[in-house]
Amino acid sequence: MKLSLYTSAAIIALSSSSAFADGHLAYGTEGGDFSWDSYNAFAEATDLSGQSLTITGAWTGNEKEKVEKVFAYFNAATGADVTYSGSDSFEQDIVVSARSGSAPNLAAFPQPGLAADMASQGLLTPLADGTADWVANNFAAGQSWVDLGTYADKDGADQMYGFFYRVDVKSLVWYSPEAFDEGGYDIPESMEDLKALTDQIVEDGGTPWCIGLGSGAATGWPATDWVEDMMLRTTSPEDYDAWVANEMKFDDPKVIAAIEEFGAFARNDAYVDGGAAAVASTDFRDSPAGLFAIPPKCYMHRQASFIPAFFPEGTAMGEDVDFFYFPAFASKDLGKPVLGAGALFAITNPSDAANAFIEFMKLPIAHELWMTQGGFLTAHAGVNLATYADDSSRAQGEILQNATTFRFDASDLMPGEIGAGAFWTGMVDYVTGTPAADVAKGIQDRWDAIQ
Amino acid sequence: MDNIAGTKSSLSWAVNISVVLLVVIWLIPTVGLLVSSFRDRDQISATGWWLSPFPVSQNYQAKAPSDDAKAEGGVNVITGNVFEDGKGKVTRFGGKRAAPTEFKAGEIAQLTKDRTLTVQSDGSYVYTSPAEIKRDPSIYYAASSPPDFSLDNYRTIMASDNMDRAFINTLTVTIPATIIPILIAAFAAYALAWMDFRGRGFLIALVVGLLVVPLQLALVPLLTLHNKVGIGQSFLGIWMAHTGFGLPLAIYLLRNYMVGLPRDIIESAKVDGATDFQVFTKIVLPLSFPALASFAIFQFLWTWNDLLVAKVFLPSNSESWVMTVKIADDLLGSKGGDWGILAAAAFISIAVPLIVFFTMQRYLVRGLLAGSVK
Repeated sequence: MKLSLYTSAAIIALSSSSAFADGHLAYGTEGGDFSWDSYNAFAEATDLSGQSLTITGAWTGNEKEKVEKVFAYFNAATGADVTYSGSDSFEQDIVVSARSGSAPNLAAFPQPGLAADMASQGLLTPLADGTADWVANNFAAGQSWVDLGTYADKDGADQMYGFFYRVDVKSLVWYSPEAFDEGGYDIPESMEDLKALTDQIVEDGGTPWCIGLGSGAATGWPATDWVEDMMLRTTSPEDYDAWVANEMKFDDPKVIAAIEEFGAFARNDAYVDGGAAAVASTDFRDSPAGLFAIPPKCYMHRQASFIPAFFPEGTAMGEDVDFFYFPAFASKDLGKPVLGAGALFAITNPSDAANAFIEFMKLPIAHELWMTQGGFLTAHAGVNLATYADDSSRAQGEILQNATTFRFDASDLMPGEIGAGAFWTGMVDYVTGTPAADVAKGIQDRWDAIQ
Repeated sequence: MDNIAGTKSSLSWAVNISVVLLVVIWLIPTVGLLVSSFRDRDQISATGWWLSPFPVSQNYQAKAPSDDAKAEGGVNVITGNVFEDGKGKVTRFGGKRAAPTEFKAGEIAQLTKDRTLTVQSDGSYVYTSPAEIKRDPSIYYAASSPPDFSLDNYRTIMASDNMDRAFINTLTVTIPATIIPILIAAFAAYALAWMDFRGRGFLIALVVGLLVVPLQLALVPLLTLHNKVGIGQSFLGIWMAHTGFGLPLAIYLLRNYMVGLPRDIIESAKVDGATDFQVFTKIVLPLSFPALASFAIFQFLWTWNDLLVAKVFLPSNSESWVMTVKIADDLLGSKGGDWGILAAAAFISIAVPLIVFFTMQRYLVRGLLAGSVK
């Protein structure tokens, strides 16, 4: 007992030393394609020596390593000690710590729904005045990012809380260039072409798609992305917004039509690896593996830009696997809609260092430092695209910057009960055989019940 | 009544077989986890663990380097071996991804555009093309691969930064969080079992009632309280939290045991002039050892495996991670895709509780029985 008390005292003493005491700067302090000028000016103007900054987020494992390299530069510029802790159960942890008054200074929310919830309970602090204008002017499709980061506070007044940092593009189809080459398949330019290609692959004796909805307690979410992408391709962006706000009911014929467009792929035994029955039970992390099987178990996989993290070890981007834009219907004049999602920083415990960190996030280099490590896209228009780690991220970045319509993942914006509950389970019911109209009706009933 | 002690039931073989069967069924998940802990993520998603002891015929892809192409007799030729180390046996091969096992080893495959490919069973290949070879041509082949187990998962875990710190942190949380509730609960249980005072029955009912309150309810209010009184997120805080969450079960278990001790001993001690404290320390405590030990095992296992309480009541920096948090937030990788690591981590973190359990298990059975049959 006594011994363990001593040990713990020693541990507490040790733990007060900074995590970045020996944090070295991974990319030096000059050269490369980074935007050093604004960084040096920021470093000159800001001095936070002796202050500490705590940040939490959902980035763990190698994403944590990457983001800590970015924080090291903030530390070098300002002298503030940054402690980052990633959590696998971030969504629960941040609520507990904010409610009990031990929240870190900043939290990186993986999606805006939770941030909006917490803002309405008064657990977030609005960003400094002028941030909204800055984002509107300096982000690609700036106003949409301002809107996504603006929530009602405790008293119902809209304030800017969220600063978007890492963005995922969801409208991507992954494929093996070699398998496409061999089959003589071309990248489809329109949804009609994509459907023709799907039929062509079946005719040639292959299976076109790998779809997996499994994700533990979140099983079903990959299907919501499909439906959202289909919504953007079958109806106008205004209808999409109305759907998110439930001004257009979930069982509206337009929504049902979008669900059925998804079903045209997922509920066809010949189209999906393992047959339609396997869709709900395959884990989304395992589902892209079919692309790399020899012979291929499938030729295409629609998933967001983060999925390369789950490709088999040693997969070469652009060589073993590549992607194309999930195309729109040529017959409908809806432009090139892009579905995305993103993580945002919000202040959970205000301090000078927290405000300075948001200022740091405005610098191109804060984005370039992660771009160069791969697996990161940004909507910041001032970054040097040459810092992207590979051509495929650069191409994804361009899809993002050239989108005629950008819409955020609807399920992340809907109330948690729907977007992280009824919508997910409804999609599982749908792929296992329940008619789309019944599923949509069920989700709308749940939505009515919580209003 | 013909199967009383001493005579053997004629059906004992059926009992034995069903016991063995139940044990096997019960063990399957653990065995699966153990086998998976020696495989990497790609293997786990490729085949089930029950297939892992057998050699599997798998299809592979090799690239013939176009830089090695030589012009021989009007055609461009690449020769080489699909096996980097020259070891292995090719059974079938093909030149197309869609048909990777079209030809038997040794056959000459006619590919499109007059290209040919031959792969011998030892892996050596000859690729010819009348046109210039610009891109590395792919060769697909089937080879039987022996079962492959590795200790890599265990190495990754043992070699990761701060693992020793996490282990010590877990002990730092677990040991006091086991001892403190036992100390308090033993006193309380004695009082509730053998001391006469008003409201005793009500107190016992209250403790039993607390058993059904889920601890998740208390997380936010308790942490708020800790922050207000200045404990904050610290080891002291988590000891107190574990103590509080463990007390109802501890008191209930120990009281039930102590109530069952023979009344004669305690009364004669009191007649001889022993105070309550003497009765407690000299008679009741030594006699209650099995119950104390059984609760200690419960509490130790629960605090050792705990993730939720540790995440809430300890600071979130990596210096105060306990093992469970370290595994969940650091080792499992982004979005928790590394199943192999999870399996190996489970076996590493199981080691200490296993030792505790096997050294104290005879008390566990005794203590449980004593408490329950009363």
